[in-house]
Amino acid sequence: MIQVIAASRCPTCALTVAPPAHFCPRHPVEMAPAAVGGVGEIVSFTTLHSPPEGFRAPLHIALVELEGGARFVCHGAETRGLRVGARVAIEAVDDVYYFAHLGALDRARLFWRRAGHAGDRVNAIARSLAQRVWKGSSGAER
Amino acid sequence: MHEVWVAGAAMTRIGRRSEPLTDLMAEAAHAALRGAGLEGPDAIVVATMNPEEFLGDGNFASHVATHLGFAGIPALRVETATSSGAAAFYAGFALVAAGLRRAVLVVGGEKMTHLPTPKVSELIGRSIDPYERRYGATMPALAGLVTRALLARHAVTLREMAQVAVKNHAHGAKNPLAHFRQPITVDEVLASRMVADPLRLLHCCPISDGAAAVVLAADRARVRVAGIGQGTDTLAVRHRRELTSFPATQDAARAAYAMAGFGPERVEVAELHDAFAPFELIALEDTGLVPPGKAGRATLDGETALGGRLPVNPSGGLKARGHPLAATGLAQLVECVWQLTGEAAGRQVGARVALAHSIGGLATSNWVTLLEAA
Repeated sequence: MIQVIAASRCPTCALTVAPPAHFCPRHPVEMAPAAVGGVGEIVSFTTLHSPPEGFRAPLHIALVELEGGARFVCHGAETRGLRVGARVAIEAVDDVYYFAHLGALDRARLFWRRAGHAGDRVNAIARSLAQRVWKGSSGAER
Repeated sequence: MHEVWVAGAAMTRIGRRSEPLTDLMAEAAHAALRGAGLEGPDAIVVATMNPEEFLGDGNFASHVATHLGFAGIPALRVETATSSGAAAFYAGFALVAAGLRRAVLVVGGEKMTHLPTPKVSELIGRSIDPYERRYGATMPALAGLVTRALLARHAVTLREMAQVAVKNHAHGAKNPLAHFRQPITVDEVLASRMVADPLRLLHCCPISDGAAAVVLAADRARVRVAGIGQGTDTLAVRHRRELTSFPATQDAARAAYAMAGFGPERVEVAELHDAFAPFELIALEDTGLVPPGKAGRATLDGETALGGRLPVNPSGGLKARGHPLAATGLAQLVECVWQLTGEAAGRQVGARVALAHSIGGLATSNWVTLLEAA
């Protein structure tokens, strides 16, 4: 379920970018290949009601900070109820990436697959749920 | 380095213009030369962002020089997206400061209103990282991301953002050259059509035609270029850590203040790049004119309005004066010159030091320029 996304990392400053770039944007050095997981946190999002030529309104665009550090631009089917800081999964359809909300169960499954020990898994799930409740109550932005 | 003076400054009325761009640029250029008391310059720097796509014309420095009747004068073109006018000013400044030229005409302009809005939006958007453009990212889309992040951090409020547009329209009403001359209210801004959630139509600058020009000279005149600096950042917004301030503005301001030998405390009037209303709030803090976190409050309190402590965008800014891309950076400087020489009738501030701030792309190539009355 978690997609692996090709990225690159700067050997000088550790900046990770996705998709991969030949040179670091901030250093004239070749980046090393890297991979990041397709889950992360919403940095910001918008809905374009007057999209450019070639796109249909409403166009949902999000900036997502992936685990592993790279920030990624993607589409979504919906932004209603979405908040900055929300956990999302991103997935490619025909080479175009989309984000989707991660529900509590999705998140539990994700952590179950990732964590090494049973205790870590339970802790991770609990932390994730606690963070969700906290963000839900104080993350008002409008 | 030689001292550089602004010997002449002029601009056209901004708005929906039917004349060819070369005629608009000639109107501004000839008026600036008349103001400088010169028949002709010894070099020309031309700023246009994208005449190849907007008009289908290239080799634009020669195009403009020939149209002006200066086919024999050395001419070059400078481009840094939406800050091209400020970049051209820098090129002209550098030529005089280095002692290579004694009187440089810097003229910038853009003509866009003859094209449909989605086409203009797409063409301006070509200054955005190609990968981000594949996702439909336009300038309003990226500005929408910046604005959402600001609101999520509680750095600004919707009302503070709306007040920027209200103030700049009130200023534009006093400027006979402005694109928009009618006042608007906070309620009208908050009820206007959503463009890039949470940015609404009246948070955004219009698509405008127009031109502006200055003459930069080695001979003493009424206004001196005290400092100028450029700041840059990654083309891709996703390669940055910071979304709610623009390091390119901070770097440009630092360089300009260092060259001038003074800081923001001496600035008495400013023209800031308010392509989107929240950008004026970000710029106020990035340039050090207002302490961090105070820009919204200062705006609501009227500090940045005409009559306030530090009038910002007395011309109406990009929001109301209009935003003919490569003309804008120069139009800001023209307003600053007029403020320093007492030629800003109806909106005169009475200042000795003015600051102009221009954003290229989504803050990839920003400029801060400081002008001082002699």
